[in-house]
Amino acid sequence: MHIPDGFIPITQSAVYWVIALLFIALSLRWARRELSEEKVPIVAVLAAAIFAMQAFNLPVGMGTSGHLVGGALAAIVLGSPFAAVFILTIVLIIQGVIFGDGGITTMGANIINMGVIGGFVGFYGYVGIKSIIKTPFVSAGIAAWFACFIPALAASVELWIAGTFPLVPGLIAMGTYHAAIGVIEAFITAVAVYLIWHARPDLDWSEKKTLEPGKVAAA
Amino acid sequence: MMETKQFVMIGIVIAIVIGVVAVFLASSDPDGLESTALVVQGEKSLTGITPPDAELVEDVHGGFAYDSPMPDYSVEDLGVAGQIIAILVGIGISFIIVLGVARVAARQKECAGK
Repeated sequence: MHIPDGFIPITQSAVYWVIALLFIALSLRWARRELSEEKVPIVAVLAAAIFAMQAFNLPVGMGTSGHLVGGALAAIVLGSPFAAVFILTIVLIIQGVIFGDGGITTMGANIINMGVIGGFVGFYGYVGIKSIIKTPFVSAGIAAWFACFIPALAASVELWIAGTFPLVPGLIAMGTYHAAIGVIEAFITAVAVYLIWHARPDLDWSEKKTLEPGKVAAA
Repeated sequence: MMETKQFVMIGIVIAIVIGVVAVFLASSDPDGLESTALVVQGEKSLTGITPPDAELVEDVHGGFAYDSPMPDYSVEDLGVAGQIIAILVGIGISFIIVLGVARVAARQKECAGK
């Protein structure tokens, strides 16, 4: 759901960039407070894997394909929505600047949709769903589905404001396609969270008592 | 518990395998946003296949245009080899930049004495 440059007028793009920069600043604060030297390479390899998986478009029928976005994955594995903002921002900059995937002016909107909304929906979705059904990996999958679906609806509203998509047909099409693509997001996120937390049980913050987003206040 | 060095090595290998396999197996169908654009531009029906001659108009509002060095994850004139190079470059740069930024951030905390 990378919005290209021509889809949002410059002035509106600037507004999304300002909002995105606020969250980028908060994600850098998260990184300063929560990242130990030990965790740094783990964050980096997660970013590399998310980049690779974003290149792997899988067919979902209806003449459409989709790939993992990874916002829920980053947020759930690292225990903070700001981890998703941190990783997705850098991945989106690389995709836009080097590979022309997603616009430069619209990068702010893309960071908001996939990093901020994807990260927050993924993280708080996981916390909320897990408090009800208790199974961490199913919770991660369901949260990841919403972390694909809801940013897609946000993008269609932004593109309606931009005058690029009509509101209802845009919401229906974006919603239909990303409901299907969300199944990819759900499956890969659940499997990846399972594998990562089994390899590194120390990363599994959700079995510990605190459910605060990365203990921001305590740091 | 897996050592961090081992975890990172395995992770990089998985990323490279996924990236290289993607070059050969990834679907060339438009993604969800492009498909939606094709639907609202009248080039495609909601649930039907994407016609091979469907043309996506990206330049809806005009204005800014940018030429990236490796457009569409490819290198000019290098075909499949260029696509593999592009993916490997992307994986490498993602790892290095996140490693660099995260390391600087982590050290700032330690300098501040917690």
